[in-house]
Amino acid sequence: MTRTRFRIALAGNPNCGKTCIFNALTGARQHVGNYPGVTVESKSGSFELNGASIELIDLPGVYSLSSSSPEEDVVFQELTKPGIDLIINVVDSTIPRRSLYLTTQLAELHIPMLLAFNMSDDAKKKGLKYDLPKLETYFGSPIVQTVGSRTGGVRPLLEQLAKTLEELEEHGVPMLSYGADIDDAIGEVAKKIDSLHVEKYAHIPSRFFAIKLLEHDTAAMRLKEFQPAQATVEEQIAHLWQKHAIEADTFMADRRYAMLAGACRDAITMTQERRREISDKIDMVMTNKYLGLPLFFLIILLTFWFTFTCAQPLMDCMNKFFGLLNDVIKAKWPETTLPVLRSMLTDGVISGVGGVLVFLPNIMFLFFAIAILEDSGYMSRAAFVMDGVMRKFGLQGKSFVPLVLGFGCSVPAIMATRTIESERDRRVTIMVLPLMSCGARLPIYALVIPAFFGGYSTFKQSLIFVAIYAIGILIALVAARIMKSTLFAGDGEVYLMELPPYRMPMLKSLLLHMWDRGKMYLHKAGTIILATSIILFICNKFPEKKTGFSQDYDAEIAKLSGSEEEIREARIELENQRQAEMMEYTVSGRVGRFLEPVFRPIGFDWKLVTASIGSLAAKEVFVSQLGIVYAEGDIESDGENESLKNKLRKNYTPLQGFCIMLFCLLSIPCLATLAVVKRELNSWKMAVVEAIGLFVLAYTMTLIVYQICTLLGIGTAKIG
Amino acid sequence: MSETKCSCGCGRAAVGTRRYRIPVGDEITLAELPVGSSGRVVKIKPELRGRKKFADVGLVAGSELKVEAYAPFGGLMRVRVMESSMALHSADAENIVMERSADL
Repeated sequence: MTRTRFRIALAGNPNCGKTCIFNALTGARQHVGNYPGVTVESKSGSFELNGASIELIDLPGVYSLSSSSPEEDVVFQELTKPGIDLIINVVDSTIPRRSLYLTTQLAELHIPMLLAFNMSDDAKKKGLKYDLPKLETYFGSPIVQTVGSRTGGVRPLLEQLAKTLEELEEHGVPMLSYGADIDDAIGEVAKKIDSLHVEKYAHIPSRFFAIKLLEHDTAAMRLKEFQPAQATVEEQIAHLWQKHAIEADTFMADRRYAMLAGACRDAITMTQERRREISDKIDMVMTNKYLGLPLFFLIILLTFWFTFTCAQPLMDCMNKFFGLLNDVIKAKWPETTLPVLRSMLTDGVISGVGGVLVFLPNIMFLFFAIAILEDSGYMSRAAFVMDGVMRKFGLQGKSFVPLVLGFGCSVPAIMATRTIESERDRRVTIMVLPLMSCGARLPIYALVIPAFFGGYSTFKQSLIFVAIYAIGILIALVAARIMKSTLFAGDGEVYLMELPPYRMPMLKSLLLHMWDRGKMYLHKAGTIILATSIILFICNKFPEKKTGFSQDYDAEIAKLSGSEEEIREARIELENQRQAEMMEYTVSGRVGRFLEPVFRPIGFDWKLVTASIGSLAAKEVFVSQLGIVYAEGDIESDGENESLKNKLRKNYTPLQGFCIMLFCLLSIPCLATLAVVKRELNSWKMAVVEAIGLFVLAYTMTLIVYQICTLLGIGTAKIG
Repeated sequence: MSETKCSCGCGRAAVGTRRYRIPVGDEITLAELPVGSSGRVVKIKPELRGRKKFADVGLVAGSELKVEAYAPFGGLMRVRVMESSMALHSADAENIVMERSADL
């Protein structure tokens, strides 16, 4: 080969097996990113073919180049940019007409093209026979039959690719004709475009843009280079309408399908009666009007069961590992050398990052399970059966799974919203997701409920527990409804979703998907969570109080007398008091004191404020932080601390206890959630809006509850 | 359209609005076809939002459709078009005019 570098774009419909082929060609050498400004995932990979290095761009799956979705916009931009040497168009050969529709548009670009008739084994089973040479002349491109899902199934594609790359210069020209009337109109507009001499798009035939302009394609009409041709375009459209009653926005679709119908009649034959597909039979049950929903809930349940059963042992291992690591470092690193760094590494970094990293197995298994649901084709059925229910709340079918995941952890749940195509619905789902009470809030409830409501029966206690969750869900649904009619008002995107036939998921693509998401999570733990752990550690530690204690603790400890047991207990008591005083002196303590007047109306004192600030790192930190300010020492965050509960009872009313839970439930989630909101919505503004919005919501709700109940005297008597 | 829109912005009619469907003449819309029946598209009304998107997947005049199922709690319906299954809102399907075939 004379050239050593090629850029190849992989284009095709959604569900055509494009990703399968991409994975088969590039293996693990992939780069997953985002197109700037939109939340469309960009994927590229590379491989070598006969010594030439090939960059393969996996374009998002689209039905057309009509720019009626962000994906279609991205494909349009990518393909009209210079520098693409070849398009590999993956065609689902079991549904030739629909798949070749995109091909007719790609062919107009006059970029050398190679057609991969994928799933050719299924097509054969269906009884479809292709006259390939005829189709090759028709589209002016070579055609290979592939089976992307089988090892070696892409071999013919590679063989043809090597041949095609050798003779790129002499690629064929498609012979597409849309009928004399329209061909004339295209010719007129193309002539006008030629006279404009647009340098920027010189590499693309004017005919392509002529068709796009005649179709009133928004992406093409936006290009200011072609503005001067607008008059000619309108003239031709008016002419077509008058003479042939042809409507601008759909006539090209009409004609393309008509043309394909002709082509298919000539070149495609059905040798046998098509058997009723298994897929339809499965769907008779899965999307059944009555069975559909119960089956859906069963599958979701199984998914969670699978995730947690598989991940639990690994999580335990990781927990032990980080604990051990802390102990080893503390043992090897003498307390006297660089004590600040020592405790920052162990108590700050390892505890903070480790606390988040232990969720990694959970996330990996969860996304493995989600990938199975997606790749098998069930996810779109789930959306189909859930849509009616979710739409009542301004959400849609695909919002359900992420919302349920939110009970575990908001971070992977927000990552899982990527399956929602509609940008508006996706945004609303992300915005309300933190209201689903995540697992990290559990320790707070586990501390507060027994502390203040311990007198009630276990049944009543669990009712309070359920009530808290229900409040979160209720507010989330109401908020979604409100956001849909205010912030995200207006007509949404048109809803049209394909239900592809069920397919056996491929292990390779499942693993790749799992690895992608895992990597994303690791990245987060390595950057934002690391940074916040260090910052919070510093805030909780500095400035250090060295003098000016209310009593001389060292002297007091020295003075202690009595039995060994008594001395030990008194000593711990004094140490904890000292720690509490030190806490008050630090940045966190001071901020808490400073903000106390703001929080007094919702029943918070500075200690609770300080704990709330600490909980920004992770919600469960609220409990350990409270332990520190109440001089209970650095207690474990499992809430199993009787004396902390006693102290809470002495200092707060049950109403305040409830307000603590309410505020923690509704307020800003951990910073990691905010970071992932920013990432997924691609906007700092939205992340800030989210944080402020939730804070205002939490504050107002708690304020209302606290003030009204105080007025009515509900739960205002201390029980400790 | 004069009907009251749902306040959530989903574009569908408000809950509780009575919706009568009385076919006039020989026209019948996709939303009126019973499950399991098929027919040919006569035309797509200009009122259909995102007409191009529907056209791109094969919902054009002349194509053969089959109503496969309705989702629980209404709203979505499932239509076979160009050998693949597409889910769409029945509110949108009201703008797709079908040929009234002999068996209906």
